[in-house]
Amino acid sequence: MTVTAVTAVTRPTGPEREPTADAARPAARRRTTRVPVTVLASFGVVALVVAWSVAPGLFTTHDPAAGVPADLFQSPSAAHWFGTDHLGRDLFSRVVHGTASSVSSALVAVAIGVVVGGLIGLVGGFLGGLVDSVLARFVDVLLAIPSFLLAVVIVSALGFETINAAIATGVSAVAVFARVMRSEVLKTRSAVFVEASLLLGGSRWHVLLRHVLPNASRSVLQLAVLQFGLSILVIAGLAFLGYGDPPPASDWGLLVSVGKDYPLAPWLVWAPALVTIATVLSVNRISRWLRTTD
Amino acid sequence: MSSDYARYAVRRVLQAAVVVLLAYVFTFVVISVLPGDPVSNTLRNPENGFTEDEITRIIAYYGLDQPVYVQLWESLTRFLSGDLGVSLRSNLPVSQMLGDVLPSTLRLAGTALVVAVVLAFALAFAVQYLPPRLGQVLRSFPSLFLSVPNFIVGLLLLQVFSFQLGLFRVIDSETPLATFVAAVALGIPVSAQIAEVLIANLDHESRQEYAAVARSRGLGRVRLFWKHLLKPSSLPVVTVIALTVGELLGGSLITEAIFGRAGVGSLVQRSVSTQDLPVLQAVVALAAVVFVVVNLLADLLYPLLDPRVRLDGGRRTGSTTPTTDPVRPQREVVAP
Repeated sequence: MTVTAVTAVTRPTGPEREPTADAARPAARRRTTRVPVTVLASFGVVALVVAWSVAPGLFTTHDPAAGVPADLFQSPSAAHWFGTDHLGRDLFSRVVHGTASSVSSALVAVAIGVVVGGLIGLVGGFLGGLVDSVLARFVDVLLAIPSFLLAVVIVSALGFETINAAIATGVSAVAVFARVMRSEVLKTRSAVFVEASLLLGGSRWHVLLRHVLPNASRSVLQLAVLQFGLSILVIAGLAFLGYGDPPPASDWGLLVSVGKDYPLAPWLVWAPALVTIATVLSVNRISRWLRTTD
Repeated sequence: MSSDYARYAVRRVLQAAVVVLLAYVFTFVVISVLPGDPVSNTLRNPENGFTEDEITRIIAYYGLDQPVYVQLWESLTRFLSGDLGVSLRSNLPVSQMLGDVLPSTLRLAGTALVVAVVLAFALAFAVQYLPPRLGQVLRSFPSLFLSVPNFIVGLLLLQVFSFQLGLFRVIDSETPLATFVAAVALGIPVSAQIAEVLIANLDHESRQEYAAVARSRGLGRVRLFWKHLLKPSSLPVVTVIALTVGELLGGSLITEAIFGRAGVGSLVQRSVSTQDLPVLQAVVALAAVVFVVVNLLADLLYPLLDPRVRLDGGRRTGSTTPTTDPVRPQREVVAP
């Protein structure tokens, strides 16, 4: 129990909870109904990126794989929004067609983190005792290895493919989810309504599914959104180092990695880079907004 | 306090040792249990021209015909006696290979840490003391820094400082200026994490009653910052800095690749592409040791720096991300 004591005590005066609960209520309601402009823009960016990954053909007129030898290294123009690369391929359609791979692998990574990490945190926090101590050590181990290094080692053991990079990124995110889930579970488990539910004859499963999980979901969701942005960066980093699918693929990190070899065509780096940054920035903004509306 | 502290210290040291050992075992399992057998793949490559008999002898020499748990035990005992094994590729002792590249990475990571801390404090100070409108803009900087892939920062800096201004050449990447520029690329995402915690703490502290009292007695904003707010806000940063050590080590992989530095990161890259498992194993173990020791020191130092901390068990708890509860990520503070 000494192990669990510390996280259960959270500071009552977090930045968002300065006014008393009653005074804050109308303000809070207004805040949830009126979504800030930047958040709307962020949702717009994310929607566009999702649309790109679902139906890339709708947004592009050029074939991402077919190069036009006459159009090498065209700078961005009306015909080629992001210019063309060393084989005369349209960079915009390469970015759009690479979106599905970049986005879906980040989703895979987050899913692994949420499911595995969430389960570890849930079981450890809910059962406590020896199980919790063992799981906590395991999480400590995952934390002790620098996450990018861990991802590199795992992807090198699994083989250089984008899906393996996604799995590796997911494994390196497990620890964070486990910690957050565990502390949320501990917070809820000691709440009065859980005690009441147990006194009224609620089973452990009932408490777990009816009270603990729903209460933890908010924090986990917010972390998952944040981790989604982070995973895009990590997977791009792995692709940049050449640990994803090889070049006919057009993952964002890979496009940057290939583009950097042509310093006279800087758009080859900047176009995919700006798309990545805009996406991650939007995702982070949404995550922060979720935290403040909590 | 002192016997409490001693008990706390002993407990933390033991936990740290356990975590390092388990990290070693975990890496070993990841590397050796996952599919793919780089050794016999290389040996069986027809170009190398080994006979079956020679292959069996070589594999036996490295102990790779033993069951995994025997290999693990031998590897672990060697690790504990300070022997990191021999590279499968260069036949050099891994410790020698690491020793060659370590100074470069330490210079890079050390400079990056300094850059990150200075940048974070400058940003936090500016957020508090520039006009609110400008401060609001600066508040979004950490989030921006965290959204930019660090290879982009590296490529941008390389483009500007090396190709356009010609201040250093990638070929001789160990000059102080080249190291500094690489360190900026590595330090920017780290500074964002420190700055986030620092800004949140400064906000929190400046709302405390003691700050209101100091203001009501006519203390200027700058003096309030230096005399009252800075210390309580920056103490938790010690823990955050310790946690970012992993980030610096992991990030050095990309930064070293971009700036052409011969450090631990590029050693990892080489070992990954040649499947040099003993080197990978050693680097991960080293990284885990560094991370655990730095965090151990931070944890041991913290109660000495901040007398309000109550020692409650020995475990580090709380979040490791600055996102969940950035104010005091590690320990409970006794309410005044």
